[in-house]
Amino acid sequence: MIVAAVLQLAALISLNLLGRWLCATLHLPLPGNVLGMLMLFALLSLRLVRLEWFEPTARLFNRHLALFFIPLVVGLLALPGSLIRSHGLALLVIIIVTAVVGVVTTGGIATWLERQPRDEQ
Amino acid sequence: MITIISIVLTVSIYAASIRVRARYRSPLFGPVVLSAPVIMLIITLTPIHITGYEHAIKIITYFLGPATVALAVPFYRNRHVLFTNVVPMVVSLVAGTLASIVGAILLGRVLGLPASIEAALSLKTATAPVAVALAPRVGANPTLVAGLVVLYALIVTFIGPRLLTALRIRGAVARGSALGGIGSGQGVAEALTEGEATGASAVVSMVLAALVVTVIAPPVVHLSSNL
Repeated sequence: MIVAAVLQLAALISLNLLGRWLCATLHLPLPGNVLGMLMLFALLSLRLVRLEWFEPTARLFNRHLALFFIPLVVGLLALPGSLIRSHGLALLVIIIVTAVVGVVTTGGIATWLERQPRDEQ
Repeated sequence: MITIISIVLTVSIYAASIRVRARYRSPLFGPVVLSAPVIMLIITLTPIHITGYEHAIKIITYFLGPATVALAVPFYRNRHVLFTNVVPMVVSLVAGTLASIVGAILLGRVLGLPASIEAALSLKTATAPVAVALAPRVGANPTLVAGLVVLYALIVTFIGPRLLTALRIRGAVARGSALGGIGSGQGVAEALTEGEATGASAVVSMVLAALVVTVIAPPVVHLSSNL
């Protein structure tokens, strides 16, 4: 059980490192962790690896994803306070306006495309 | 030693926040929204301080890499949602992401934001681990990016469901795409409370949206900085 978890974690870390190495070596325009994710998706789709091999550890990571970036948010303390004082209000306005824009555009277009009648069917 | 204390502190506060979240369903009680301010307060009031905490940030953040790779699993498990709704999902996510990025850059110009903050805003629809990894590519501070992603996702999660309902957008694919694709992790958590179909399309949309941001944010930011 523990051995399996360690192996799964090692596999996820290896794919991340391989992704980073490939991106750096081939100068690919995407982050290594994203390439690592695409490689795991490809391995799963090609049935070169089994879903069950990764599922328990992946589920743990997915469920607790927030834990891994909480420290970065805490790190906001180290940013100069002047940033919030001079731009805080503008940032809040932009975030609220673009949240509405993003949700309405995505939800609206998805609904519109879903409702289009299809002739051949 | 101070690093070990910082890590234990972070994990304990996070674990406590999960308990609180289980009791109150509001997005205001999400784990990041609850934990980060509490940890900030504790390290400011104790001799840990942000300087002592910095090594813990490096260690815990390292796991964002494998955590991103692990996103392939729920994406693969729910891939049928994408395969049966390829056009509405891809088109709406590209349009929604682009609208959010362009809107932020235009408003940033009007309100006089520095270019580095505009760049950080361009990544806010991506899930935090991907947004943080993209930060150096657009010349943004990873910490600021993480903070903006969390705040943006909180607002999306808070107003998104009401907004969609008011616009009579009821389809699971549309609601899932809007919540997961624009509101990333917090949006997915919210979508899962609406039901299985909405949750599945939100999971797929979050991963898809991260790929969309990876492809379009850097060129849009570079283009806008030359205008």
